[in-house]
Amino acid sequence: MSFVNFKKKEVQFKLVYYGPGLCGKTTNLQVIHRLINPEARGDLTSIATAGERTLFFDFMPLVANAIEGFQTRFQLYTVPGQVMYNLTRRMVLRGVDGVVFVADSQWSKMSENVESFANLEENLRLQSETLQTLPHVLQYNKRDLPDVAPVHFMEFMLNNGAVRQSSFPAVATTGEGVFEALNMVARLVLHKFMTVHNRKEEGACELALV
Amino acid sequence: MAQILHEKDSVRLRKVLVQLLARSESDDCLLCDSGGHVLALEGASKHDPFLISALGAGIFGASRELARMLGENEFSAVLHQGEHRSIFLRAVDADTLLVMIFSRSANVGLVKLYSTPAVDDLRQILADIQHGPSVPGPEDSRPFVLSPDAQLFSLRKE
Ligand SMILES: Nc1nc2c(ncn2[C@@H]2O[C@H](COP(=O)(O)OP(=O)(O)OP(=O)(O)O)[C@@H](O)[C@H]2O)c(=O)[nH]1
Ligand SMILES: [Mg+2]
Repeated sequence: MSFVNFKKKEVQFKLVYYGPGLCGKTTNLQVIHRLINPEARGDLTSIATAGERTLFFDFMPLVANAIEGFQTRFQLYTVPGQVMYNLTRRMVLRGVDGVVFVADSQWSKMSENVESFANLEENLRLQSETLQTLPHVLQYNKRDLPDVAPVHFMEFMLNNGAVRQSSFPAVATTGEGVFEALNMVARLVLHKFMTVHNRKEEGACELALV
Repeated sequence: MAQILHEKDSVRLRKVLVQLLARSESDDCLLCDSGGHVLALEGASKHDPFLISALGAGIFGASRELARMLGENEFSAVLHQGEHRSIFLRAVDADTLLVMIFSRSANVGLVKLYSTPAVDDLRQILADIQHGPSVPGPEDSRPFVLSPDAQLFSLRKE
């Protein structure tokens, strides 16, 4: 849930990278950290096992110039993809404003993708949130590998709701499809924020809290 | 969960933190929500408050799950003690957390002691914000406008 601080003239949003184990969520943040204009980012902090699997989350704050008169902060998180860490995923999802669902394009990972997507929907439901209203995009990662499913098949498996979401083929290790997904989800989040807040401002009685 | 913090609410929260900081001789006090957003902060620390709140919310979420496992409602506070610096986390309400960072020169007992009235005050203010009729200042009621050059995130220049 976005957070506005009028005193500090600051708006905070929370973006979460979600997807099955080893699909490349942490890699997305690493490559953003490496390639983004350094003034726009803070440090990347990872809580991981010795084997580099995410144990708790990765975290990186980004700052953008998006809303007039306000500093706009996007806090990026990844969840641990391994099935057993579901409680942790729920914790990281709390108050989420936007999701990048990272899918692994390899044929062998298709059922894990579908399972992880269902798990996302279930965990959102537990916090009374749904993908119908939560801004999100899909990223089909690892397009450089030999044994990958065609994009239209991945769309059929993962992007088959009434409203088609934006999706991006990607090679997270090189940055391909990474900024595209980030910018799109950030735009969707901003758009929703504008719609919700400015509508409220016009109303007769403005509620400070929702 | 707080969505908007108007200036006068910020001032009230801040007052409590300033007083707590002085009384307990801590280095930093920070108020964050369970999603990791920073609501208010006081102190002179060089630490990134956004990272502290992300990690603090994580630690607290984890300890809450541990408590549930043990049949406790929740642990209301968590202390991590270091050789030079320590961190004390305390629940304000179901969704808000007070984080205090203090060095060896401060006394753990005092930190805990003074955090109690402060948490009560903070809880009251947060409840007022939730339920009370909020009167935004003139500055606060203008619609948000997207920057014309809404350049979001771009690659670094070589
Ligand atoms: N070939 C290829 N490898 C990739 C790509 N993206 C990520 N990888 C590799 O996949 C492995 C796992 O990537 P991570 O980013 O750690 O995966 P994760 O989704 O964070 O995994 P968990 O933390 O366990 O959930 C690493 O060895 C990455 O280098 C890609 O686009 N192509
Ligand atoms: Mg990871």
